[in-house]
Amino acid sequence: MIPLSHFMLISAALFCIGLYAVLTKRNAIQVLIGIEFMINAAILNFVAFGRLDKLAGGGQMFALFAIVLAAAGVAVALAIILNVYKHFKTINPEKIDSLKN
Amino acid sequence: MEILNFSAKTLCLLSLVAILAPFLTFPIIQLGKKSIGATVSISNITISFIASVVIFLSIWNVEVVHWQVEWFSIGTRLFTAGVLLNNLSVLMMVLVSGISLLVHIYSLSYMKGDGNIHKYWAYLGLFCFSMMGLVVADSLLLIYMFWELVGFFSFLLIGFWFTKATASQAAKKAFIMNRIGDIGFLIGLIIIYTQFGTFDIVELFGTGGLIDSASIIDGVWISSNSEMPVIWLSVAGIAFFIGAIAKSAQFPLHTWLPDAMAGPTSVSSLIHAATMVAAGVFLLGRIYPLFDTLVLNIITIIGVFTAFMAATIALTQNDIKRILAYSTISQLGLMIAAMGIGAYGASIFYLATHAFFKCLLFLAAGAVIHRLNHYKEHHNLVFDHQDIRLMGGLRKQMPISFITMCIAAAALAGLPFTSGFLSKDAILINSFEWAQGYHGFKKLVPYLLVFTSWLTVFYIARLIFKVFLGKPRYEGITEAPSAMTRVLVVLAFFCLFIAFSVNPLSYEGSWIFEGFIKAGVKRFDDLHVIIPAIVTFVSLAIVFFAYKIYGRNSPKTFPDNGFIYRFSNRAWYLDSGYNLLFVRPTEAISRLSYKFDRLIIDGIVSFLSLIVKNLAAISNWFDHYIIDGLVNGIASLAQKTGDLSRKFQSGKLQHYLITMLTVVVVFFILTYFI
Repeated sequence: MIPLSHFMLISAALFCIGLYAVLTKRNAIQVLIGIEFMINAAILNFVAFGRLDKLAGGGQMFALFAIVLAAAGVAVALAIILNVYKHFKTINPEKIDSLKN
Repeated sequence: MEILNFSAKTLCLLSLVAILAPFLTFPIIQLGKKSIGATVSISNITISFIASVVIFLSIWNVEVVHWQVEWFSIGTRLFTAGVLLNNLSVLMMVLVSGISLLVHIYSLSYMKGDGNIHKYWAYLGLFCFSMMGLVVADSLLLIYMFWELVGFFSFLLIGFWFTKATASQAAKKAFIMNRIGDIGFLIGLIIIYTQFGTFDIVELFGTGGLIDSASIIDGVWISSNSEMPVIWLSVAGIAFFIGAIAKSAQFPLHTWLPDAMAGPTSVSSLIHAATMVAAGVFLLGRIYPLFDTLVLNIITIIGVFTAFMAATIALTQNDIKRILAYSTISQLGLMIAAMGIGAYGASIFYLATHAFFKCLLFLAAGAVIHRLNHYKEHHNLVFDHQDIRLMGGLRKQMPISFITMCIAAAALAGLPFTSGFLSKDAILINSFEWAQGYHGFKKLVPYLLVFTSWLTVFYIARLIFKVFLGKPRYEGITEAPSAMTRVLVVLAFFCLFIAFSVNPLSYEGSWIFEGFIKAGVKRFDDLHVIIPAIVTFVSLAIVFFAYKIYGRNSPKTFPDNGFIYRFSNRAWYLDSGYNLLFVRPTEAISRLSYKFDRLIIDGIVSFLSLIVKNLAAISNWFDHYIIDGLVNGIASLAQKTGDLSRKFQSGKLQHYLITMLTVVVVFFILTYFI
């Protein structure tokens, strides 16, 4: 049986990769991918801890819920990025630094 | 003379008109057009002259008018100002305004074409104003003020051609020499005021006045006001006399007068013959009762010496105006000496006659100079047009000038039938009569005076013969303009005896002489015949002698390289002596004090400034680095802080995230590890 700590390590690694991508990437899409990584790291944790609740399956439930939410979030985020691109002619978060106009 | 019956008040007002009319010339010319200068000044001086004549006719030998108003008061002391019209002042008024009028008319053509002619008229007006004020004023303080004004306006007139170096130098010299005399006058004023507490001439010098009533007891001079050692009486007399010495160009302050010939000839004629130099003699006349025996002796000695010295200098001068200038000094010496021996009337009489013939001599000389200068400029020649050695034969070319100048020269020489004969004999006879009462050096005085008058005959004859006789040197010289010659003719009339006395041979019948107090000496009838006879005879011989030498351009003349010649020609080396004694040391002292100023005073000042400068540099440094540093440091701290916190608000999404992450991590660490 795979110990819980392995999931935790992979999850932490995924989270860190996602965080790194969010903080460093020059492309909003890639940043979005980083966010997905981080959400998936969390989902992985849910699923891994769901082993301890076999009767109710609360972990699986939360994972499914989170996946749906993430999908919705990505849809909204992509829409925002599209609009941002229309407005700024770029999706580099470095260059998008003004709130006005 | 009582046909004109004016009240005293009218006469005083008239005298004010006579004084102020010439003064008005100045503001009118300054405010009005420059071209009206001549008209205004001649009409004003005419008004002044007419007023003077009216006053003269009413006052002369009739009455004395004294009118005064309150002027100002210091504490309880009241000062008055007013006019005093007596024989002396009305005579001087007519003399001054009359001569001035003639000189004004003469100047019309003499000064024609001068660029600054309007200034000339203005100065002339101011000068006449101050001279008229001087003779009429009733207070010594007023006289002093006008005395200063006369000095100042003569400075302006002498320096009228101020672009000429000699003229501006001469003006300065005249002014400075006169200042010396003014100090004497001031000292006299102070002594008189301390002793008597008033400046009023009538109160002081009138019969039974303060001077008369002051008594001398045991060497103390006592007046109703104060008392002081009797020496101050003499000091006061000498102090006033020093004032007169400077104005009347007596030894040792006479050297300004010959130099002052650098001014226009008409000015020389007015100032240095008839008016300004007469002020000194006039002053002696005004304050005559003040002088004690000591002072009178000094006056006599100075007068006689000046008369003799100036006559010897005049013998060898070659500049026509310088000869006349020295002759003026000499004749003034004669007047001063006459004052000294007590011949008051004779002195004033000579002052009056001298004014006319000396004015005429100057104006005729001016005519000659004017024509020669004209000729010189017309033919583009270069020669000294005032040098009598370069003149000659002007007799035919300028007949009116020749004849009138001859009359004036005869009057100066004291030849019979001229006014000079009467007045000069008055002085000579008086001096002989005076000397009868004394022994010792005082016996010499009349002989020196007679000798001086013979010298006078010689130098004036030399001048006339050199200028007018002999062969004509220049062709085409013509007579001066008629405005000038008419003035000469009028003046020539007043050089004749008829203007002053009916009897041509005796001065005692002269109306001017009658108008003044007589010298209190015994009359010697013999002298009244012998002296004029001898003097005249010798004078005529001298004229003949001079004619022999100079009359025909003959080469025979005196050697001009001996010591005596040089001594005389260089005016007894007095100017060089003064230069050596006063001018050089003054210059040396000036240089010394200049150096002192530069090295010591400036040194201290610049040392102090150096200290201050360094102190300032230190405080500047302190201010710049410490005070400003503190303020700027705080400011830059705030700025740095601001800059730091500003960086967080970059508007970049990822920066915010990093910050957020950092904060979370920090809190995490803080919570779980510390």
